[in-house]
Amino acid sequence: MALKVKISLIGALDMLKFKNMAADREKAIQAAPAREIKADFPINNNAKALHPDYLDLVVKEVVDHPEADAKSFILARAEGGPLPYFRAGQYISLKLPIGGSFLSRPYSISSGPKWALDGMYAVTVKANPGGFAADWMLDNLKAGDKITASGPLGDFYYDKYRDCRHVLALAGGSSITPFLSMAYAIQDGVEDFDMTILYGSATADTIMLRKELEEIAAACPKVKVVHVLSDEEKEGFEHGFITADLIRKYAPAEEYSVFICGPEAMYRFVGREIEKLGLPRRLVRPEMLGVTKEVWKQPGYPAEAKDKVFRLTVKQGPEEYGIDAAAGEPLLVAMERAGVKAPSRCRSGQCGWCRSRLLSGRVYAPEENDGRRWADKEYGYVHPCATFPLSDITLEVPGEYL
Amino acid sequence: MVKYDAVVVGAGNSGLSAAIRMQLGGRKTLLIEQHNLPGGCATSFRRGRFEIEPSLHELCDVGPENNPGEIRELFREYGVKLNWVPCPDCFRVISKYSDGTPMDVTMPDGIDAFIAKMEEYVPGSTPKMRELFELYEEIRQGAIYTAASAGKADPNYMREHFPNMLRTGAYPVSKVFKAMKLPQKCQDILSTYWGYLGVEMDHLSFFHYASMMQRYVRIGAYIPLHTSHEISTAMLERFRELGGDVWFNCRAEKFLFEGDRLCGVRTSMGDVACDMCLPNINADIVYGKMVPKELVPEREKKLSAARNGNYSARMFVAYFCLDCDYHELGITNYSYFLSGGSDSAKEYANLMGGVKTNDYCILLCYNVANPEFSPKGTCVCSITTLASPVDWNDGDPTTYVARKEAMTDKMLAIVKEKTGIDFTGHIEEVSIASPWTFARYLGVPEGAVYGHEVRDWDGIMPRMMMLKQDYPVKGLRPIGAGGPRGDGYSGAYITGSLVGKLALKDLNDWAEGGAK
Ligand SMILES: Cc1cc2nc3c(=O)[nH]c(=O)nc-3n(C[C@H](O)[C@H](O)[C@H](O)COP(=O)(O)OP(=O)(O)OC[C@H]3O[C@@H](n4cnc5c(N)ncnc54)[C@H](O)[C@@H]3O)c2cc1C
Ligand code: FES
Repeated sequence: MALKVKISLIGALDMLKFKNMAADREKAIQAAPAREIKADFPINNNAKALHPDYLDLVVKEVVDHPEADAKSFILARAEGGPLPYFRAGQYISLKLPIGGSFLSRPYSISSGPKWALDGMYAVTVKANPGGFAADWMLDNLKAGDKITASGPLGDFYYDKYRDCRHVLALAGGSSITPFLSMAYAIQDGVEDFDMTILYGSATADTIMLRKELEEIAAACPKVKVVHVLSDEEKEGFEHGFITADLIRKYAPAEEYSVFICGPEAMYRFVGREIEKLGLPRRLVRPEMLGVTKEVWKQPGYPAEAKDKVFRLTVKQGPEEYGIDAAAGEPLLVAMERAGVKAPSRCRSGQCGWCRSRLLSGRVYAPEENDGRRWADKEYGYVHPCATFPLSDITLEVPGEYL
Repeated sequence: MVKYDAVVVGAGNSGLSAAIRMQLGGRKTLLIEQHNLPGGCATSFRRGRFEIEPSLHELCDVGPENNPGEIRELFREYGVKLNWVPCPDCFRVISKYSDGTPMDVTMPDGIDAFIAKMEEYVPGSTPKMRELFELYEEIRQGAIYTAASAGKADPNYMREHFPNMLRTGAYPVSKVFKAMKLPQKCQDILSTYWGYLGVEMDHLSFFHYASMMQRYVRIGAYIPLHTSHEISTAMLERFRELGGDVWFNCRAEKFLFEGDRLCGVRTSMGDVACDMCLPNINADIVYGKMVPKELVPEREKKLSAARNGNYSARMFVAYFCLDCDYHELGITNYSYFLSGGSDSAKEYANLMGGVKTNDYCILLCYNVANPEFSPKGTCVCSITTLASPVDWNDGDPTTYVARKEAMTDKMLAIVKEKTGIDFTGHIEEVSIASPWTFARYLGVPEGAVYGHEVRDWDGIMPRMMMLKQDYPVKGLRPIGAGGPRGDGYSGAYITGSLVGKLALKDLNDWAEGGAK
């Protein structure tokens, strides 16, 4: 070997140094005290406090909004103390054992982040005729009841790197909730941006959370609220729907971002209007819209499957369940009906929390709800909240920390 | 109670590797993971129309198909098939030489190209650089030999074949560079990778640095076509094919013992009986939280005390999805190492001082290596730095976002100042991960993803030499970035395989010995 690298004057000593690495290490170890191993780290505790697996909550107060067929539930930690802080616009997933079923529903937090420090979140629930969980909550949940929820989640919040200083917030009906939270956050100095809310309701007397919104707008020049009434023409209110022209009318001169949160019909309508504005994608942020209600109307859906009921075998850790799954409902709903505690959060196909392995069977996943990762599509994973059965199915689902 | 031969706790890089190894060895294995998907660091997340790579910059030792490196070989042996994409160049570094003059250097991969380029920047350096790479190669070979001999290397064979490794390996990098009389400018450029190991050149063994650098330069680095989630998913698929079971959203809480021998794992989904457990978890957590106090060996307590919580690489990463082609932003390179200077000791001190003094970051643009990384007309970049507990120990949630933004502002300013690259007006999606984020998803101490620092006496060579002493509890063999092969993707894969082999041997020995 031509190369001969020497570090010290006597090369042999270097070889010894190499050989002694183990002995030197042992020496360093033995020189240390045999003290108890501490595995408690502030950083990990901070992370856990901000992002708990679950929160045990209790309903502190129920505020009725009869004009809007809705109620706000003020939730506190069962054991008292502050709740995890959050970004205004985020949601929590409520876990609802109803009869033999085990449901979960995402609700935007309608209170401001500051409330969390005082140990409170508010969620505002609007009646949903023909639905299941919302109406059950309105009829049954009362002060003192216990309820389990996820920590705050989601990416629907203001980000100074991405969003313009001025946000045009488009809301319809109960979907005002994340914007109310943002408005509180702006008023409290937690967030710093200007927000003009274009809020669609049917008539002036049915506007949900109107008083709260108007109080903030009166006190805080950064927040502005414009009511858009579809079923009524009235002085001081816009009439009709949220159109491109209306957005232009209230948009600032400089570049602005558009945030949208609304029911499925509003998304579809407003989506077309926004296209007319020619805004780049980075300036338009839709909140998740849930999963399509009438899957059989989606392109490519095999008509013959529509009314069938299939057999769903669920594997979860060491357990196995056999249940029914209707073609028109997502796999997650079938599991929830049967009381299987399958994980879920956004119920919109986006967060990936329900990600499960399809072991056998055929499914349909609507393109517009498909938030899967590339490799998940390739290797047969599905998001059960946004996946419909087309045959008997075997599904391996993750556990749930409940 | 369900019963398996082995339970691997945690489906990180090391856990996936160990799980395949155990199943290949014919042992019925259960893999449990507290999160709902595999990979640990090696995963991905979706934002809008983008899929973001959270951790992998480049994976060394894959190599081209006709000249495979250790990792490509390992994956072949495992039967894991992947789409690999080469990363162009080793790096571009914009910093200062030790004499204070500006440094802006782009080093290609391939040893000859690397040396030729160095000659351009540092005329006359070629003979010394040739010597250096000859030494690097000897050390790489020596490392493969020592790993293969699993703690039973033959000293005579070593002396004959790897004499220079024996002479230099135990010294700090800076000392060997000096002894070799490398021109100072070469030393400055060659120090660039220190940030990948998170230990300064005065405290990092030359053995470690040389074997790593050789792995990067010799056959280049690679990334998977569809983020590291593709690697993890493909590995998990292989594990399933081999007959392994996996439970997600399942947390291991305690190890169960019969006398002083491990007999099972308590999990959030119930108790599981097994003869062998390989936790993909930092040893401090394994012995500090999961083994009953009275069974924690004296030596583990001492080892932990000697390491004294010197966790490595508390990550801070800002991810930006941009609505334009990377050329439009003036991005020309895959990875930019940006720092205030080339003195790693000073840079390390600056990092540990927190946001006020930190002047180090790595800018990466995935599309430069992989044009398919994001939709046409868009690109994805990340900016990575190492964080300090001084910024993140404070638990006040109301200042958390501001702290993240302060660090991000600083990194964006460094990028702009050093490269002229400015994302303003193009950011379509953004996500910022702090040590809290990594602590949340991985459970690693302080959000540090490298385990304990591979510093001074606790380098990878002495760890490799002490495989016998380092697993004092029967049936318990921790794996992961804190293991014998150290941090990084390749280190974790190899540790999983290596310790998996030791575990298989245990199980076979016990079966032969008639003991359970
Ligand atoms: C991110 C986000 C934030 C939101 N924030 C708010 C908010 O702040 N305020 C608000 O009012 N709304 C909010 N929503 C909407 C709210 O989540 C829905 O309105 C709510 O889920 C309605 O619940 P539902 O069960 O009544 O609706 P449905 O659409 O009826 O329920 C969903 C599914 O339940 C199934 N189901 C029916 N019967 C049964 C049964 N017997 N057993 C099991 N399953 C059954 C149905 O098939 C249906 O597919 C938000 C939605 C999202 C995605
Ligand atoms: S619950 Fe979010 S993707 Fe299914």
